[in-house]
Amino acid sequence: MINTIQKSSFKDILKKLFTEYSYWLSFVMLLILATAVNTNFLRWSNISNIFVQTATTGIIALGMSMVISAGLIDISVGAQVAIISGLGIVVLNRTDSILIMLLFALGFGLLIGICNGLMVAKGNMPPMIATLAMQSICRSLINHLGQGGPFTVSDANFATFRKIAAGSIQLTQGIRIPYPMIMFIVLSILFGIIMRQTKLGKHIYAVGSNTVSARLAGVNVNRIKILVFAITGLLCGFSGWLYASRVMAVAAASAGNAYEMEVIAAVAIGGTSMNGGRGKIIGTFLGALMFKIINNILVMANFPTFLNGAISGAIIIVAVLLQNIQNKSK
Amino acid sequence: MLTEMKGIVKDFGPVRAVDHVDITIHPGEVIGLLGENGAGKTTLMNVLAGTFPPDEGEIFIDGKKAEVTSALVAMKLGIRFIHQEISLCNDLRVFENMFLAEELVGTGGLLNKKEMIHRCAEIFNRMQVDIDPNALVWTLQSAEKQLVEIARALLFKCDLIIMDEPTTALSTKDINRLFELIRQLKTEGVSFIYISHKMPELFEICDTYYVMRDGKLIAHGKFADIDEQKATELMIGRQLADEEFLGKPYYGQEEVALSVRNLSGNGFQDISFDLHKGEILAITGLQGSGRDMLADALFGAEDYTGTIQANGVTVKQTSGIIDHMKHGIAMVPRARKERGIHNDLSIYDNLSMAFLNTRFNGLLINGKTEKNRFTRQKQALAIKTDQPNNPITSLSGGNQQKVILGRWLEAEADILLFDNPTQGIDVGTKFEIYRLIIDLAKAGKAIIVFSSEYPEIHKVADKCIVLYKGRINTTIKREDVTEMSIMYYSTGANVEAQKND
Repeated sequence: MINTIQKSSFKDILKKLFTEYSYWLSFVMLLILATAVNTNFLRWSNISNIFVQTATTGIIALGMSMVISAGLIDISVGAQVAIISGLGIVVLNRTDSILIMLLFALGFGLLIGICNGLMVAKGNMPPMIATLAMQSICRSLINHLGQGGPFTVSDANFATFRKIAAGSIQLTQGIRIPYPMIMFIVLSILFGIIMRQTKLGKHIYAVGSNTVSARLAGVNVNRIKILVFAITGLLCGFSGWLYASRVMAVAAASAGNAYEMEVIAAVAIGGTSMNGGRGKIIGTFLGALMFKIINNILVMANFPTFLNGAISGAIIIVAVLLQNIQNKSK
Repeated sequence: MLTEMKGIVKDFGPVRAVDHVDITIHPGEVIGLLGENGAGKTTLMNVLAGTFPPDEGEIFIDGKKAEVTSALVAMKLGIRFIHQEISLCNDLRVFENMFLAEELVGTGGLLNKKEMIHRCAEIFNRMQVDIDPNALVWTLQSAEKQLVEIARALLFKCDLIIMDEPTTALSTKDINRLFELIRQLKTEGVSFIYISHKMPELFEICDTYYVMRDGKLIAHGKFADIDEQKATELMIGRQLADEEFLGKPYYGQEEVALSVRNLSGNGFQDISFDLHKGEILAITGLQGSGRDMLADALFGAEDYTGTIQANGVTVKQTSGIIDHMKHGIAMVPRARKERGIHNDLSIYDNLSMAFLNTRFNGLLINGKTEKNRFTRQKQALAIKTDQPNNPITSLSGGNQQKVILGRWLEAEADILLFDNPTQGIDVGTKFEIYRLIIDLAKAGKAIIVFSSEYPEIHKVADKCIVLYKGRINTTIKREDVTEMSIMYYSTGANVEAQKND
């Protein structure tokens, strides 16, 4: 009797591993694969480097998790990063203040996000169309303002501003924690708590799961829709600020290019349902890392960089197909 | 065509919707399929029409085993199903809807519109209705849409037509025309299965009755051998439990909990009534009587004019759901699957939603208080589960409904609107819900039950408001609530009679 109970619970654990926690499974498998391809993979320098690379898109992916969990989508994030980082550098060069630049970036991102939210919630536009239009507007504006040339951080600010992305805290000898890694981890924890343990998080899942039921339970559906876009915009602002520090010269046409693909891929690999209602921040966190690890492996294997887009497309397709299969097996 | 269904079983998760049912349909026979809502009639018909396969059982046509694997196969076999819900594509034209998936194609693969329009006109002619085949469906009245649904089934030659409550939106005149057509087709050997809650219609048009209760076939025979009283008894069963509700005392108190004055909105006009604490008021009416809209308006989910006072305080007009909630008004919505539950969310989250919206001001949600809330409602409402972390879909319909009710009790609402609360719930749990409603009244909650089911109204209501065409036609006292009186006032028989005088 006891045996059978244990057996079934073991089966349950396995089933849960394959359905609810599949992103852990793929993460571990990917780590093994990466170590096999590159024996130096598990070195701290490589790991912290992956975190630094992941931070800009990973931070946006946290907001995208909210958007997708609410049953929506935002494809304007890459263009948002471009316009915010480009104009952010202009602000920095004028004011010589990293803080004012950050406030500008956050405020500008928030503004774009609220516009997206208003179009979807109040204007009743399909989110794909609203954010596609926003993407086009942002990209075109920054291209026009840049007139072909990049936005470059002035020499006066170069040394200090560089530290945002390139600086680190010395923990012990040989182990330095880069600032972007700290930012990504702290924000992930914060968003994890928001989604799990606050009213806002519960409401986001409720709206994504069933808009009508949510409304009839007293959830202000429009406000939630506006909020998720606004928060994503805010994160784009933060990410744009970080991005500017990483590249120091923002090229209008290519900055934040294909970010929306990377970000959506991270959310998809992380197990968030593309139909809304279900998903976890830890999944997105791991998903964003996995995306970069895959890139890392491909670079090691001398894979042509132009094919990166094909890989991210394929990753999204496979991840979402797997989700559908899992849902059926439930 | 002789159609036989043998030993049909259909399960939905833990619920057995159809339980070993045998039905034989002879050529030219009109069968009346009776049963309360949720008895399994529609499910059985969906099996016959190929909407989904049975879990057990077989279908024979003219003695040969038939595999009705899809709706298309059923159509090819000559079986047509006129669904209860109108399922037309609003943006298409009438003839496009009628020929949907069966379009007539001319030379070169192009649509033969002329012929399709012509055939539609022919059918409408035969039905003696005046609908333009070229009209866009969204411009039609709901009665006209229902007629289009019926016409669609007649478009191609068929041997068995299933009609699931085909007359809900139709006028008496339309119904008579429909019956004429049925009689005519009958002589041509077409058989019918007719599902309806309207007794007079069944007795007028049907030859044979089959009664379902709780998924099982309870009785069958000739309508000529029974009367309406007997049919009702067969449907609801001579349940002892029924008597339990007969002596329900009136728990109403002096204090008025909800006062509604001159409420008007989309589909209803000039509604005024008072609801006392501890009182159970039923509001009923046929489809399209404004019942659904009134329920939504009282909860703030629809715009209205007029005043609503909750516990003596006027609710700000058009202030929306959240303000109505803060005044203590709660609603257990109709169509639980679409409007009540969140499939993806756990039982915990489904339960806590209203509390979080109105009573919770903290920053972080505490898992322990969530658990306490669940334990409290589990005990109070006898929710059958030990796994509150599982999705709500792991529960049966009745237990899901209890979670939704618990949602509002946790929000400490004291004016409870139940909109069609026992839709798709098995009989046993239905009675549990009735008991809960009565217990809540006893505890001083003011309750409105919006319902179309007489047995439900009869069991719980202290009085019953009957709506007709968006207005209060009459208010019936508990002792005068009968199926007859409700039907009489719902159909507006008194109003129409006056008009005729």
